[in-house]
This record gives sequence, C-alpha cells and structure tokens, in this order.
Amino acid sequence: MSHGQTTLSFRENSVRALGDDALRAAMKQAADTFGTRRADAFAPVTAVEALRDRASAIREEVLKDLPGYVERFAASAARAGATVHRAKNATAAREIIARILSDRGAKRIVKGKSMVSEEVDLNAHLEAAGMEVVETDLGEYIIQMEGEAPSHIIVPAIHKNRRQVGKLFAERLGVPYSEDPQVLTKIARKALREKFLTADAGISGANFAAADTGSIVLFTNEGNGRMVTTVPPLHVAILSIEKMIPSLADLPDFIRLLPRSATGQPITSYVSVITGPRKPGDATGAKELHIVLLDNGRTEILAGESRDILKCIRCGACMNVCPVYRTVGGHSYGWTYPGPMGLILTALLTGMAKSHPVVDASTLCGACVEVCPVRVPLVPLILQLRRRKVREGFSGPMEKRGMALFGKVAASPFLFALGQRLAALFWPVVRVLGGKDVAGRLPAPARVPFRRKAS
Amino acid sequence: MRVLLFGTCLVDTFFPEVGEATVRLLRRFGATPVFPKGQTCCGQPAFNAGHEADARTAAAHFLSVFDGDDPIVTPSGSCAAMVKHHYPDLFRGDPRMLAKAERAGERIHELTQFLVHVARAHEAGLRGKGRITYHSSCHLTRSLGVREEPLLLLRSMKGATFVPMPDAGRCCGFGGTFMAKLPEISCALAEEKAVSIEATGADTVTGCDSGCLMNIADAMKRRGTAVRVAHLAQLLAEGL
Amino acid sequence: MSGADLAAHFLENAAKAAAGTHRVSGVEGLQGAIARIVPPDVPVHCPGVTEVEKAVAGLFADRRAEYAAAAVTVEEVFGAVAETGSLVCASEGGRAVQAGLLPSHHVAIVRRDHIFATLNDLFSAVASAPPTNLTLVTGPSRTADIELTLAIGVHGPEKLDVIVV
Repeated sequence: MSHGQTTLSFRENSVRALGDDALRAAMKQAADTFGTRRADAFAPVTAVEALRDRASAIREEVLKDLPGYVERFAASAARAGATVHRAKNATAAREIIARILSDRGAKRIVKGKSMVSEEVDLNAHLEAAGMEVVETDLGEYIIQMEGEAPSHIIVPAIHKNRRQVGKLFAERLGVPYSEDPQVLTKIARKALREKFLTADAGISGANFAAADTGSIVLFTNEGNGRMVTTVPPLHVAILSIEKMIPSLADLPDFIRLLPRSATGQPITSYVSVITGPRKPGDATGAKELHIVLLDNGRTEILAGESRDILKCIRCGACMNVCPVYRTVGGHSYGWTYPGPMGLILTALLTGMAKSHPVVDASTLCGACVEVCPVRVPLVPLILQLRRRKVREGFSGPMEKRGMALFGKVAASPFLFALGQRLAALFWPVVRVLGGKDVAGRLPAPARVPFRRKAS
Repeated sequence: MRVLLFGTCLVDTFFPEVGEATVRLLRRFGATPVFPKGQTCCGQPAFNAGHEADARTAAAHFLSVFDGDDPIVTPSGSCAAMVKHHYPDLFRGDPRMLAKAERAGERIHELTQFLVHVARAHEAGLRGKGRITYHSSCHLTRSLGVREEPLLLLRSMKGATFVPMPDAGRCCGFGGTFMAKLPEISCALAEEKAVSIEATGADTVTGCDSGCLMNIADAMKRRGTAVRVAHLAQLLAEGL
Repeated sequence: MSGADLAAHFLENAAKAAAGTHRVSGVEGLQGAIARIVPPDVPVHCPGVTEVEKAVAGLFADRRAEYAAAAVTVEEVFGAVAETGSLVCASEGGRAVQAGLLPSHHVAIVRRDHIFATLNDLFSAVASAPPTNLTLVTGPSRTADIELTLAIGVHGPEKLDVIVV
C-alpha cells in the first residue's frame, strides 16, 4: 500500500526494509521505547490479569451476538439524533461518505486518525471527487504530506526519524529546517489550526461504540480528534462493526488497558464520548452526525473459526513486541494492518490468494499473546491460517511434497536413520541444494548421530 | 526411576553431545534413561507450517514409540510444548489417540523441569566455569512456562558467573520453519541476538533449545564472535 | 476515601499528567489562584454562568465571548475523576466543551464534591443518559508521533491548570 508494496511481495518488501538503515534504526528505537513505557505503565496496576480477563470477557460477550449489538447501537444512535448508515463493503463506505459530503457541498474535510478509513481507501476517493482532505493527526499529517500509508496503527509515522520530518516540513511548508520534535509539533499546530476552523466537515473513526446509548468513544492525545468531531458543522464517523461494547458502564476497563497497551500512558489526554449531534439547548457538538458502520467481511469472519480476531481493540501492543514487525516495519506487510493482528486480519479480509505470504511472517514466539490486553489467541489464529493456507492450496508444490516426505520419514525409524546417513555423507551437496540461506546456516550433521551412541 | 529419553531430531542429527550430556545428567540424578530406538521427530516442522496431516503422522509415531507410563524427558522446550499443547489438538477426533496424547503431555518433562522439580539438581552442588549468559527460548518460556528452572540451575553452578543478557526473552529468529521461509529476517534477528550476547562479555552462551542455539551459533560465526555456544545440558554435565 | 483525600488523589494524578494543580477554599482563595495563574491583559474567555465562574469573571480586563479568540479559557467543569487525574467536561446545560479546547491555556475549576473516585463511579453515573459530549481531559494536549518523543501542546491546549475549590 506504500510505493507499490503488496502483501504478496512480503518477502521482497522485508528484504528491502532490512537494507534501509534509517528504518531499522527507527524501528529499533521504537521497540525499545515501547517496551519500557508499557512496562512502566503497567507496573503500578494491581490485578492486571483480572483486568485483562474482564476486558476479554466483555469482548467475547459482544461477539456472541454481534448483529444484535449492532442493531441496538444503530437504534440507540438514531434515537440520539445521529443518522446511521450500514456499509457492506469498502465501495459502499466510500460512496456513502462521498454522498453525505457532496450533498452538503462540503469541500474542506478535516480528518482524525482512522485505520478503517485506510482500509477502505477513503481519502483517494474523496480527493478524486474534488474534496480537500486534511489529515490532522500529526503522524497522519506527516505521511499524507509524504504520500505514504501509515506503518503502525497507533503511531503512523513511526518509521520516520526527526530529520526526515524536519526536511519534509521545510520543503513543503516553507518553514526553516528544524529537527526538534517540539518545534515541528508547533509548526503543525499553526498549519492545521486554520483548517479546523474553516472545515465544512470532520471525519473520525471511533475506538468503541456503546450499544445501549448509541455513543461513540474516541481516545486521543492531540486534540485534533476533539476538533474534528465538534468544530465543523458536519461530523462523519466511520467504524467497523466489531467496535461494539454493551454499555458505557463497560468503558472503564478499556480506559485502563488501551492507553497503557498502546503508548504506555495511564490514560490518553482525551477520552471523548459522543452521543448524537447537537440538540436543542446544546452548545457542543456537530449539527449533523452521520455514523457509518462498516462490515467489509467481518460478518463472514464472525461465522468462521477465526472469529476471535474480532476481539481486537486496536491497541498496537502486539506489533510493538513482534520480532518480525519491529525488524521490517509496517509497510512490508503491504496493507493497512501490520504485525500479528494485522497479518491475521489481512489474510481474513483480503483472502488467502492475495495475502498468503504474510501468514508466514511470524516465528510463533508468542510475545504478542503475552501483551494482548483482551487475550486474542494470536498464535493459535496464525496456526489456523497456516492450516487454511495449506488446505486452500497456497503452500507450494515443493513444500507439500517435502512435508509429505517429512511425515513418512518421521514415521519410519529406518528412513529417518537412512536420511541421517545420506545427509552426513552428502552434506556438501545438501548444502548447495538447500541454498546458503537455509542449509548454509546449519552445521554439518554429526558423523555419529545420537541414536547410534545411545544404548 | 526409568525415564524415556526423547533426544529430538536436531540433537540426534546435529548435536549428539547434547544427548550424551542429558544421559549423564539423568544417571547422575538417579534416573535410568532409556532411548526408545524407534523415535524420530515430534512433528513440529509440519505442524508449524500448517501441514496438519503430516504432523499427525509424526505425532502418531511418537505416541506409539513413547507409549506407556514412564516419564519422558527431552532437552528441548519447543518439543515438550509440542507434545503437551498441540498433540491433543491433532487427535481431537480420535478418543483413543487423544487419551494417549493427553497422557504423553502429562508425562513429558523438559530437561530443566525434570532436573529442578524431580531431581532437585540445583541443590546438589553443581559446578561450572567462566562467564555464562542465557538465551530464554520462546516456546520454553511462553508456551511451557519454564522461566525459573534454567536460571536456578545456572545460578547454582559454583565456579561459573552468570551474566544476564539484555532482552534475553527476545526471539532469536529460528522459529522452526521461519528460518527457512524468511531467512533474511531470521538472520537479522539472530544478528541482534549475537550483539546482545557480545554486550554481556560472556565467554559462553547457553539455552535449552538446540534450534535457537544453532541459529545463534550461525550468526556469531558470521560475525566472527568467539563465544562458545553450548546447550545447558552440556555445561551441567561438564561440571559433574 | 474522604473528600479531602479524593481531592488530593485527583490533584496528584493530574500533576503526573503535566497539569498545573491548585487547591483553594472560598472565593478569595479562588480569586487568588486565578490571579497567580492567568497573566493580566491576555484575552480570556470565561462563560460566567455558574456561581464559581461568576466569582472570578470580574477579574479579567479583556473578556471574550468568542473562545476561539481567547488565549485562556477559565471555566468550571462538570467534575473530575481521582483515579486518573482527569477533568470531566460535559455539554450539559448548554456548556461549550470546545471552549476548553481551542485556546492555548485551559484553566478548569472543579468543586471538591464533584470529584468521582473511580472511572466506574463516573461511568455508572452517566451510562444510561450521557450528554451529547462528555470528555475526560487529562493534562494538556500531547503527541509522541515523532520518534516517540513526547511533545506537549499540539492542537488542544498547551497548558492546563486545574483548581479544586
């Protein structure tokens, strides 16, 4: 999704990423920082496991009747004065939102960060319709200027260093070069203030949606999310259907878990709970609120064996600890969502034909499972997808034959011992056949294998 | 006490010295190790790559070779985890095999689990030498929950200095089939691990999984690092 | 936890989030704090609707009805949560929540008896009938989008002062 990188070319993407020193340095620094911050944030929290259990249970409860919760949410939101739209897929979402905006002659749109809007490729569609779409989250603002896709679901420009951002701002905004993040932030504040105040509409995502009251909840730090949802007269919120929680009374445990898991903060600067548009007597809120509920394959996932991925609350903790993600960065994955939750969702939403290589992008180390605040069974889900990949015929003929041979050899001590002898005898040949990347990294087999020594 | 020794395919083929060390340790601590000759591989490579049927074939063979009630001991965290956690999944549809799989899961011990909880080897005056650092393998710690046992053993070795490794718990990049499918990333991770090891100033790096140690040894060879790579079984046996 | 402890707990957590914290009693105490916090001669937005706001509105030489034109907003907010050191800003009663968002300095006054101990206390109170906008505000605005380096003051206020009265 960035510079023509696709999911199918994951290995090539990753090789290129490995050669990008600036990226490697940025990712290493990020991994170290995330690790420390998360640990520090959870240290004073008593009963973390109970907290995770509760949050996990709430999410599982919702998945037991997701359609029911979605219906309830839609009805509640409508009662609160919002207009609710159901978007079956990406095309529908784009068209619904474009129509809402063009019907009202909206030209300047300010946008808060929304991964779902990336998933449906919303910006390009609106821009093609002649609208100005301004990303206002600092990280998104940076990559929009650069013409790139986000490489992390929480910190979109994590792959960039301060010098790159300084150079970008100097070139595009005509400001003096600075690589001081404080200075660069103030530059963005100034540049975007005017956009907020003159925008015709604001587009946001939502972290959660409370079914009982039709409220949407946004966790933000910069203030742009609040601006986007309350300053322009029109607010369009797009969220995928698995964001449901039963009630606002369920929110506290997620407030305790999400910021700590995502950025190592005890709480984000702002947690906004928006229930309907401005009503008579209100002085806060958009005059019109449209909520677009996106399916785009979730109903199908819900009906299948991988439904537990829908528990994900998009905190990013899994990618922060993933050895693969932190080495090659998000763009290598070729689509919107990277890292462990990303490769699972990508395979499920885009199909095995388009994305089977990312299913291999895991060492199954389990670091992600350790940190997931809602206990998504990430490693079992990845294994499941690998079995599916094999079943659907995407594992390659050589591998299939190789594994079938493996099975036979593993079931026959005679073949196993024979295999050992042949490997030892013909090791130089095996090395050449197996390639320097793989066989070249193995030591030569022992002259006398253990089975001949063991008595 | 009779124990069945599962050497593992890697030890059997590439690191027989680990198997020999395991035998010496088991004998030293009062066990009679028996090596069922029909053993081959636990089936992880096929299982991890999604080839369930082929994994099941290997697993069924394992269960038949290791049938019975004797404890099974293996110098590999990932193999013990495979048997304990994944064998039952492989035989969900077959009650007879499922029962065998669950029983095998109860009987199997990773070596340091056996040495600490059964043999209490960490109280037996173990000896060692030099500065040793330790890589904590992912399946051993996260899948099997074995975190303290290797450290207890290491710290008890009189004459050796244990030097903790920064980011000891970070994956070395072996990941079974991962090292073959995405070798470039695998090498990059092994390289990072090598750097962590070098930072400790240790003369030896140890661990409980031969796959990890093999991957680490390769990275250090490329870097020309003169640090010995040895399975914990070897270090403990050398001190006997 | 007693009311006094709750206030202390709230202010302690607010301070950890880089808010300026102040504890006063009575009108004089409040006016004194305002005089210390708000520079003279800056354009100030103060709604002057609640009793607390009325007590301080007269202190400002340059009062603005338009919060977008103000450098500071001084207002009373709905409440606070001690557990997280957060202000609770609500649109109840015709409040403009964004008045505390646009200016670069937000001075928020909270009554001591409007402090909730925990997030659960707050949300069980509002869960059945939330206002149009309820926002938890914890410290000034911030980002770590560049090299994960913390920068305070992005699009929302660059400075937050909290006064418990």
